[in-house]
Amino acid sequence: MTGPIAVAWALLVLVGGAPLILGAGLVSRRLASGLAQLLALVAAGLGVVAVMGAHGAYTLPVLRTAPPGASTYLPLFPARLATTSLVATIAATVLLVVLAVQVFAASYLDDDDRRPAFQATVSLFAGAMLLLVVSRDLVLTLVGWEVMGWCSYLLIGHWSRKAAARRAAYKAFLVTRLADAAFVIGIVALIAIAGSSDYGAVVQHADGSRATDVAMTALVIGVLGKSAQIPFQDWLIDAMEGPTPASALIHAATMVAAGTWVLTRLAAALHSATVASWVLACATAATMSYAAFTAFLQTDVKRILAWSTISQVGVMLSPLAVAETAVDGQGAAAGHLFSHAIFKALLFLTVGWLAVLAGSTAARDLSGVGATSIFATAVWGLGLVSLAGVPFTVGGLSKEHVIAVAAWTDGDGPGLRQGMVTAALLVTVAMTAAYATRAFLIVARPRTVPGAEAGPAPRTGLLARATLVALAVATLAGGLVFLVSPLDPGHLDLPLLGVSVVLIATGVLVGLRLRPDDAADPAPLMTRASRGWGADAAYVAVVAKPVLALARVVAYVDREIIESYVRAPGWVVSLGGRTGVRAHAPERVSTDLLWVVLGLLVMAGVALWG
Amino acid sequence: MILALAIPAVFGSLLILGSRRIRAVIAGWMALAVSVATLAATVTTVGARSGRIEITDRRIDEWAVGARFATDTISSPLALLTAGITLLVVVHGMRHRPRGGSAGLFFGLLLLVEFGALATFWTRDVIGFFIAFEIVLIPMWVLIHRFGDDHDRAARRAAALRFVLYTAFGSSVMLVGILALVAHAGTSDMRLILGAGVPRDVQLWIAGLLVLGLAVKVPLVPFHSWLPPAHTIAPTAGSVLLAAVLLKMGTYGLIRLPLALTPNGFARLGPGLAILGVVGILWGGLICLVERDLKRLIAYSSVAHMGFIALALGTGSALGLQAALIANVAHGVISALLFFVVGGLKERWGSVDLSVVRPALRESWPGLGVALMVGLAGSLGLPGLAGFWGEFLAITAAWNPTSGGPAAALVWLQGSEQIGWFAYSPLEAQYHVDGVQIWLDAFTPDLMVMRGLAIAAALGAVLAAAYSLRVAKLIWMGNEAPRDRSGDLSPVEAIVTGVLVIAIIVIGLAPYLVFSGASLVGGMVP
Repeated sequence: MTGPIAVAWALLVLVGGAPLILGAGLVSRRLASGLAQLLALVAAGLGVVAVMGAHGAYTLPVLRTAPPGASTYLPLFPARLATTSLVATIAATVLLVVLAVQVFAASYLDDDDRRPAFQATVSLFAGAMLLLVVSRDLVLTLVGWEVMGWCSYLLIGHWSRKAAARRAAYKAFLVTRLADAAFVIGIVALIAIAGSSDYGAVVQHADGSRATDVAMTALVIGVLGKSAQIPFQDWLIDAMEGPTPASALIHAATMVAAGTWVLTRLAAALHSATVASWVLACATAATMSYAAFTAFLQTDVKRILAWSTISQVGVMLSPLAVAETAVDGQGAAAGHLFSHAIFKALLFLTVGWLAVLAGSTAARDLSGVGATSIFATAVWGLGLVSLAGVPFTVGGLSKEHVIAVAAWTDGDGPGLRQGMVTAALLVTVAMTAAYATRAFLIVARPRTVPGAEAGPAPRTGLLARATLVALAVATLAGGLVFLVSPLDPGHLDLPLLGVSVVLIATGVLVGLRLRPDDAADPAPLMTRASRGWGADAAYVAVVAKPVLALARVVAYVDREIIESYVRAPGWVVSLGGRTGVRAHAPERVSTDLLWVVLGLLVMAGVALWG
Repeated sequence: MILALAIPAVFGSLLILGSRRIRAVIAGWMALAVSVATLAATVTTVGARSGRIEITDRRIDEWAVGARFATDTISSPLALLTAGITLLVVVHGMRHRPRGGSAGLFFGLLLLVEFGALATFWTRDVIGFFIAFEIVLIPMWVLIHRFGDDHDRAARRAAALRFVLYTAFGSSVMLVGILALVAHAGTSDMRLILGAGVPRDVQLWIAGLLVLGLAVKVPLVPFHSWLPPAHTIAPTAGSVLLAAVLLKMGTYGLIRLPLALTPNGFARLGPGLAILGVVGILWGGLICLVERDLKRLIAYSSVAHMGFIALALGTGSALGLQAALIANVAHGVISALLFFVVGGLKERWGSVDLSVVRPALRESWPGLGVALMVGLAGSLGLPGLAGFWGEFLAITAAWNPTSGGPAAALVWLQGSEQIGWFAYSPLEAQYHVDGVQIWLDAFTPDLMVMRGLAIAAALGAVLAAAYSLRVAKLIWMGNEAPRDRSGDLSPVEAIVTGVLVIAIIVIGLAPYLVFSGASLVGGMVP
């Protein structure tokens, strides 16, 4: 089986599986859950087959405006899937993370009566991400992009009995959809330039012209939205209201990583677009350091992870903005996408486990929970080591690659853009180590203050435990993939490696020196940081309120002004009618006679005049 | 084709005439049989290339007004939509018939609406178009007036009157345009008008009259104010037919009359039409953010969706035409689904005021909940569902208004298979239609204006997401724990909404079916 055929089958399994899982849920919840896991396993198997198989392209028979084989004069919407070894590797990574999530969700949501709906949505979500990864066509990419947004809405709002979950889902969809308006314009503009929606043609036609720059800038804005970069960062924090497996899915290999992938595919076009590169460089440089700093101050462990995702996605996107050659940027971004998918999936699933033990994800409750489960503490620590970028873990390798690519130049010295991004990366390295240390200490240090009552031991089954082990192994040894796959570690810069080791050590020291009781008694600064520095209020004040005010004005105009000219003829006619009736009322015979006489006189006058 | 037109006309009239004597059950089954037969006849007509009727008599009048009917790829999807939706409405009406009159009258009216709509889509005579267009008005008026919301008599009367007077006003403006066109061309046969060589400046003002008249029917802002009350008051069947059939007649009219018959005039009006369309997208979307009545909200969302169609047609390009056609059919099935669901909710709750706190739909009535969410997702243009393609292609066409040559060429000249992504035809050329030469100007609207409109339309799509999910948040996710889990979809409702949900997904996954399913018919028959 060739690569594209395998992924097409995987697509069918995941997307077609969603209604099946839902239907099975009507029969039995166990059946639905088993089916969901089985389908994810089959899809993951197909993903591995795709990596092994020969690569090429495949034309989708659906999602087209003309039937396959129709002789349109210009085949501008080829609707093709294609795999290369890089594409297949990322696709397989996505599918393996999805498998882990489905297995974990089966036990984590054991007592949820809507688990079949949740797992069906995860399946559809995975299908959308897979389509986005393997599509060779901007329109198919858009399809995957939007469907993923919709599924994230359903997953975040899964526990819709909570008002916070309802609001978070609404906010996540609207914020990303607002950015998607720019994304759509970017796609449409690229199609207009290339005359085709095929990636090959688009990249070929991207020549650094002003039109390309406009299109890529719009596209980058859309990516910033989905990737939760400044100024769209706040939706991802609220999205923590979703069940933990949903968070793992959204943060690890899908949704927030999707933007990185789209720009990786278009790296050559982005490379030629100066304004777009600047926008991306500024946004990512600001976001990665800001988010790492904010993560350090969180009072909820799940939110530490959320801010860390925002920061790490910034790291992931940054090489695309500044790499000396497009290929370098591509390799570094895809590499960090791969390793982030592994360690972030591990961290989220583990924090879900810990939260069951502690009863919540708040730092004060999780404090000292590590004593109850050595296993959970160990995998938690491994995930954090990789997040902190300690050399030779999977996260460490890809991060070093990103830094090396950002700093490397072809001899003419780093420009302003490169300097800015490299500096931000180095700052982020130190702060990441600091908040990772803190996150570990919260869990591992013995409890100093009374927290919530520890819950019963989690009903996580053997499979869920095996999932965590597998992810932990991948976190440690996943770097081996870099040796055999197209995720080329590229130029490893030894002096920079030394610098970042020093920075990591500094960060760990800062983390260690934190007051032990900070988790229980947050400083005012931490409270503000936990609210995302008021970004939510800013969204409401800057976007929501003005739009609603405008809507009220429009509704008023619609009711009072548009209506008036509709009613006006009615008034005129009925007024005329009433006047007529009155004029012809029987008691006014004399008046009528007067009119008749007057009329006769006029006629006579006219006749005489004539 | 004769059957597809005659069956609903004859049996519809029979049902109305005998409405007092026919028992409700018999009337229902008869209507079902008739609508199935009509659907079958329509499918045959569309599928068998046989659709052509020509009955004219030059001795009667010099313009040779007559009964000319033919099918082509432009009208076929809409004819199928009409016959299909009528069948669903009849099935739904057998169990959920509104109060206000006898069953015979109710079903008879539905069938007459079907007849008028089919005749509108198939006619090839401009005078015939006007007549068929008007035939639909009266049964629709009775439906709203007699069978509408039984809470408020005065509101019912007002809504029905406003509907009939406002749209009749629009039609009379259109009639002036039609008569002028006939006078200049010397014939009422659409095919001959095209070759009659109506001068450009005359084309411009005739196109203006036609667009203005049809703008009421579509409806475009600011001629839309008849739609929300009509939708709110009308019974479920009426709302569905209004949205899925009547509004389609307006947009179809734009394609068939000004765009195809006065192409050089229409091209110059294009940017204006596109601006009205985008104003409609934003206008409807904004009102939906604060509207409290769910039925009115969906009516305003229809205004927004029609705005996308106007934008697409305003580009004057082949791609825009394709966008308009898909969007037309998509809006037909999506709004039909939404009105069935909301009608069902109104039946259960007594009102669909969004400010009333109700149990969450996903908890209490999951079946209705799924149907509602599919409708809302389709309405916000989610890819994979029918609504996406029309909106996306409209924005694409607006960004790049020259893509694919002039739309008019596509209406009359291209074979069906060329309707696909970016059908191509030379920009400026002479064409031959049945030996008659026509000339299409190269006219490109101002690029910056159209791109501005594309951006505004993309933002309008964000508004669509905002109001759709506002409804989802209030009704589907809900505010309150469920009290009563009984009363989910009745079997009839399950069938009707199930068919529509499947149609929405199928069109979304394979949008070309809208054309190629219909193009089994074969080429464009002018």
